[in-house]
Amino acid sequence: MEFLRPTSWGEALAAKADAPGAVPIAGGTDVMVELNFDKHRPEALLDLNRVGELATWSEEEDGRLRVGAAVPYARIIGELGGRLPGLAMAARTVGSPQIRNRGTVGGNLGAASPAGDSHPPLLAADAEIEVESAARGTRMIPAGEFYTGVKRSALAPDELIRAFHVRPAEGPQQFSKIGTRNAMVIAVCSFGLALHPSDQRIGTGIGSAAPTPRRAFEAEEYAAGELDWAGRSPLDERVARRFGELAARAAAPIDDVRGTAEYRLHALSVMARRTLTWAWKDYLNGGATACA
Amino acid sequence: MELGAPLDRVEGWDKVAGRARYSGEQRVAGVCHAVAVQAEIAHGEVLAVDATAARAVPGVIDVLAYGDAPALADTSDFELAVLQSPRVAYRGQIVAAVVAETLEIARHAQRLVRVTYDELGHDVELTPDHPGLYRPEKISPDDPPDTGEGEETPAEVSVDVTYETPAFHNNPMEPHATLAVWEGDHLTLYDSTQGAAAQRDALAALLGMPAERVRVVAHHVGGGFGSKGVPPRPNSVLAALCARRVGRPVKLAVTRQQMFSITGYRTPTFQRMRIGASKDGRIADIEHHVIEQTSTAREFAEQSGVVTRMMYAARARRTTHRLARLDVPVNSWMRAPGECPGMYALESAMDELAEACGIDPVELRIRNEPERDPDSGNPFSSRRLVECLRLGAERFGWSSRPEPGTRREGRHLVGMGVAAATYPAAARPAQALARVADDGSFTVSIAAADIGTGARTALTQIAADALGVPVARVRVEIGDSALPYGPLAGGSMGNASWGWAVLRACEGLRDGIARYGGAEPGLECRADTSGEIKNQEAYARHSFGAQFAEVRVDVDSGEIRVPRMLGVFAAGRVMNARLARSQFVGGMVMGLGMALTEESRMDREFGDYLNHDLAQYHVPVNADVLGIDAIWLDDPDPHANPLGGKGIGEIGIVGAAAAIGNAVHNATGHRFRRLPISPPSVIPHLP
Repeated sequence: MEFLRPTSWGEALAAKADAPGAVPIAGGTDVMVELNFDKHRPEALLDLNRVGELATWSEEEDGRLRVGAAVPYARIIGELGGRLPGLAMAARTVGSPQIRNRGTVGGNLGAASPAGDSHPPLLAADAEIEVESAARGTRMIPAGEFYTGVKRSALAPDELIRAFHVRPAEGPQQFSKIGTRNAMVIAVCSFGLALHPSDQRIGTGIGSAAPTPRRAFEAEEYAAGELDWAGRSPLDERVARRFGELAARAAAPIDDVRGTAEYRLHALSVMARRTLTWAWKDYLNGGATACA
Repeated sequence: MELGAPLDRVEGWDKVAGRARYSGEQRVAGVCHAVAVQAEIAHGEVLAVDATAARAVPGVIDVLAYGDAPALADTSDFELAVLQSPRVAYRGQIVAAVVAETLEIARHAQRLVRVTYDELGHDVELTPDHPGLYRPEKISPDDPPDTGEGEETPAEVSVDVTYETPAFHNNPMEPHATLAVWEGDHLTLYDSTQGAAAQRDALAALLGMPAERVRVVAHHVGGGFGSKGVPPRPNSVLAALCARRVGRPVKLAVTRQQMFSITGYRTPTFQRMRIGASKDGRIADIEHHVIEQTSTAREFAEQSGVVTRMMYAARARRTTHRLARLDVPVNSWMRAPGECPGMYALESAMDELAEACGIDPVELRIRNEPERDPDSGNPFSSRRLVECLRLGAERFGWSSRPEPGTRREGRHLVGMGVAAATYPAAARPAQALARVADDGSFTVSIAAADIGTGARTALTQIAADALGVPVARVRVEIGDSALPYGPLAGGSMGNASWGWAVLRACEGLRDGIARYGGAEPGLECRADTSGEIKNQEAYARHSFGAQFAEVRVDVDSGEIRVPRMLGVFAAGRVMNARLARSQFVGGMVMGLGMALTEESRMDREFGDYLNHDLAQYHVPVNADVLGIDAIWLDDPDPHANPLGGKGIGEIGIVGAAAAIGNAVHNATGHRFRRLPISPPSVIPHLP
């Protein structure tokens, strides 16, 4: 197996163009597990740790944050937790402190596992994924179009993930995850939610309950219409419950070793109801400005 | 002096600084690496092993398989008759091995070995009505499978229920590893084992060698929980065969995934409990019927029913054990084999009886205290269960326990549960040598094993106490079969057995020093406890304890949290308060895992355990372990052994899962009789 070590982004893209079968590796928290279990034997590993700019983030002119693919979870929590609270909540549930020091959102996107913890908050916050190839340059893929199947994404074989772009939260965000224990656990299912008060809109993301991470559009539209954005009146419990039911309806879970489809549907409805309840409470308490 | 003090581990600094060498970390010149090739079918025969591609890899030294592997002298235990026959008894069985210059080359070549099979179809699922159920001749360690006494009488209140527990895997932190070194016709095995001497004797018999020509070294062992006990695991045998074949030292490290097929686990169980009692809760008849699995490779009959033979008074009593022989990996000892699953069933049934009688579960147990051991008829050496229950009830705030299904705090149902615990307190013969070293300090030698329990430290304290010197002047040598004989670390017998011999050797040396008139270097005393143990008075020797748990069940998600557990133990004299607490709490954490998160899932299609790594087999993590506390009675038992200690390695897990299950019942009002109690199983029964 080749081990490619580019020192710049340009070199990395060239290497990926030359060897489309090369698997990018940053923190290694996912790739190394797969290698260790002998699930795959890629022709090459493309080590991105020397490409320094991948581990940086910046504020863009369009007001969004551009977060390098190799910024580890620990730094997302520490440096961006105030502006990306949903993603930070999800990041806190990833593995152990050691894993959070190494693991990256870019890696989560690259693996495109339906159980990846970053996906629901990225979906809920309308993130876009910046990918690039040496031949065709940069393109932006909305998170909702990025995941195409179980562990498959819209990434072309010669492309690398450069960053994700996302607006700082302008309203409360929540993330909820159920596992069979309290930490160090792959999600049985998860749910991310973001309020977008200026558009009077809700964003959602479902994890580990369908072949891909996905949004619950019907639930989003229903709640957006029912919520009293301007009057800020409390959430009607029936609305929260219905929102939960619709969120579950968007899922297509299976039975596996971590949980049953039936339980996943139930848990999703509970998590959707709860996250909406918490987020709306924050909104009523002025969370909209506190997070901006 | 200092016996009982909370001393730090004497080898603690060596461990945290990386100086303590575990078996796989031993360094010898010329070492090469072996990797096992495992069967991909669960039942059948190996037709051919094609190693052409593997042998062609540069750095591959040899490939061993049935037909060309060195012969073993004793092939009576199929599990240990490694590469001696084409038969495949379970998926994951070792069918070949690659030896190479590096581990990476060996792993690579292992994947190139092509094995073809004649597949016979497998039967891997235990069911309560399995057509192959049979009565084993004996149950572990050497007891009758069935017992019965007294006449059944019509009962005023009766409970007749069946509990189900899944397979569990031991999962010590250190995977099994062996370094095998042949020098002429002498074999040295650096091996992660719970007993160097027992391992030596077993390997010598397998290889057809006198025991004097085999030496097993295990200075440090990273946990065992039964999986590194005897008989040996096949990996140790394979390492010895590979090293013999290639004429070089061979290192073989089992991977975490391989541990799910070749290093043992606990059988799943179905346990039917029938208890008949009077309205006031006095047990008239009690029955415990156990159904378990065993492998076709080796029989192991876990003694889950034995607790019902001795725990409570009853007029009539019946216990049975039935096994189904399946095409599964070899199950064996794990974390209090017998007592642990058995007490889950018995103590859950006692909770059901308490509810049926309308009696407090603590009081119910007190009412059924036997005067003598119902099993042997002997008096108990000591039995302070009632004190443990009462003290625990007081400390835990048991009087505030709600009626089942009635306490709600926000979106949580809250409940409390109790269960009793017990574990045998035995001792095995051992020898020890105490000696005055050249610098006037003391050296005590015994082939004991410290598998993370703190035995080395406790033995140092016992020796220092007996010699009347500070612990800093005593060095205890263990973990080497060349030292005076010590039995293995198992059955919670280690410290009682080794400590007894250490005590006698040190007492003798102290007398010798007094007679001589000074601690002259070279003075020594050797002790052997076999005579004393043979002549022990007839007592029933057991530790006892009471486990309390509080649970919170999320009514929406079904998640169960355990904010508090308290264990109160009467386990003889405690040699080191800090290490003892670790043992108790560690056991209770394992009980938490058994109750809520651990389960080995059988893959019916392929016939092996599916969730075979720590990402999928869920032991509790720190975030699951909230307020666990363990306390103990000052309980030296003069009838147990001269030290008064009873052994504390296993009792911490016994009863813990039942206490949690009983608390879940108290919280929800529903009885869950299958472990683990998971959110999906709980949800349909919540209000």
